[in-house]
Amino acid sequence: MAQKTLGQKLLGVWNTKTIVAVAIGAALFGVLMVYGGIPVTTNTNLTTAMIVPVVVGALFGPLPAFVAAGVGNVIADLIGGWGMWFDWSIGNAIAAFFVGLLPVYGAYVMDGVFNWKHAIIYVLCVVVGNGLAFGVCTPIFTTLFYGGDLNVTFIQAIAGSLSNIAVEVIVGIPLMFILANRSKKRSNLEEEE
Amino acid sequence: MNNRFVINYVPGPTFFHKLSGFTKVFFFIVMTVAIIATYDVRILWPLFFINLGIMISMKPNYKPIVFMFLFSFVTVTLIGNVMLFVVSPDAGLNNIGAEHILWSSATGRFYLSKEWIWYTFVVFTKRTASFASVIAFALMTTPSEFASGLNKCGLSYKVCTIISLAYRTIPDIANDFVNIRNSMMMRGVELGKKAPLWTRLKNNVTLLVPLIMTSFGKVTNIANAMDLRGYGKMKKRTWYVEHDPTKADKLIRALTWTLLALTVFYIAYARIINPWPAKMWCPWLLREEIQQVSLEESFFLFRWLKGLFEK
Repeated sequence: MAQKTLGQKLLGVWNTKTIVAVAIGAALFGVLMVYGGIPVTTNTNLTTAMIVPVVVGALFGPLPAFVAAGVGNVIADLIGGWGMWFDWSIGNAIAAFFVGLLPVYGAYVMDGVFNWKHAIIYVLCVVVGNGLAFGVCTPIFTTLFYGGDLNVTFIQAIAGSLSNIAVEVIVGIPLMFILANRSKKRSNLEEEE
Repeated sequence: MNNRFVINYVPGPTFFHKLSGFTKVFFFIVMTVAIIATYDVRILWPLFFINLGIMISMKPNYKPIVFMFLFSFVTVTLIGNVMLFVVSPDAGLNNIGAEHILWSSATGRFYLSKEWIWYTFVVFTKRTASFASVIAFALMTTPSEFASGLNKCGLSYKVCTIISLAYRTIPDIANDFVNIRNSMMMRGVELGKKAPLWTRLKNNVTLLVPLIMTSFGKVTNIANAMDLRGYGKMKKRTWYVEHDPTKADKLIRALTWTLLALTVFYIAYARIINPWPAKMWCPWLLREEIQQVSLEESFFLFRWLKGLFEK
């Protein structure tokens, strides 16, 4: 695998494959959010959709994960039947950016590289990302866009980020070990020009 | 399942359906800015009725829209207001700047004020107006029009492709999802309401691996097909659906520019030149009666932090 610079790792390489994968990730995010969720409080779901940014991030980096989650949430709002919540879309996108940092600290899941050290950094990123996204960004945008009450939004945000962290840690880590093991078998092959 | 979709894949026959993608996107963006910019119900209600009129003129299938509206009404407005009442009964004071107490509990912890009711009404109006604008936009726009419109607004065409492609793959992925779920359930994996929460969650996870594998397995095929057709070779891209502006387009664009000018004027006037002392306007309060409440007094986290520092 060719060595990438930090900028490339952060922004991702935007070729056709990335574009298609991000689009499919967004669609998957939307579908899972609508059909694979269990409501926690208003505006928040215990949803398996939060796994999608993990996979997109592992494959292509944080910015593609950011776009996939943001677009995916807008789409979920359109097909799901609960109105538009741009404040939560932005929050989800920012959380996805942190969750998708995987390749930046060297966890190339699709090349079979994922160990416990990566898992610990991953958990840290998940906690920081969700805290920042739902503890800071979503409340700001909720008050700005819809005039919602800060106190209520904050309680929702805590419930939302706790359920997201739970899904991303409890489901995400085993899933990444599975994915890494699957691709380990073919990782000793080298590409020839 | 399909009757719950509000998004369109085929352009419809009415006046607003026939507009070009750019007109629709431009109108939607300006409308969203206008709704976000104000807390004044005297402006929000007219904006709501404009969007409602557009919605009705397109003769939509009302069933999913009414369902959506009722669902968000119950979850966000009703349950949200109960939460608001418990957590911050002083929302009226914080946002409107006065309190006329109608009812109070024995301890004084919970109370109901006239301004609290007005506050919930304003927030409801704002959310309903924003809901109507989203539905109106979703009803008139197809994925390609959305993408071409965004592209003409200056967004990179690669991002536009993501949006239209994501829209288009949703029916496929929803199909895959339902197929995988049905075959899982046939093998005895319970995913319905009968199973307890933990089992349901665990079973939902077993569904994920095959779904992710099938979905991302398609990526290479689609990407190769697009590459073979020369996607991404040029800096720019044209769109089949984007047509030259018709008379109707020009009319709506002119109206949108007017709305934009009015919004900018409103922001300049009501926020900077002659601002109302509180966040929201209220019909029974005079300018002199309003007390200012700062953010650190209204938000429990700041209050708590302040208390911590003062110790």
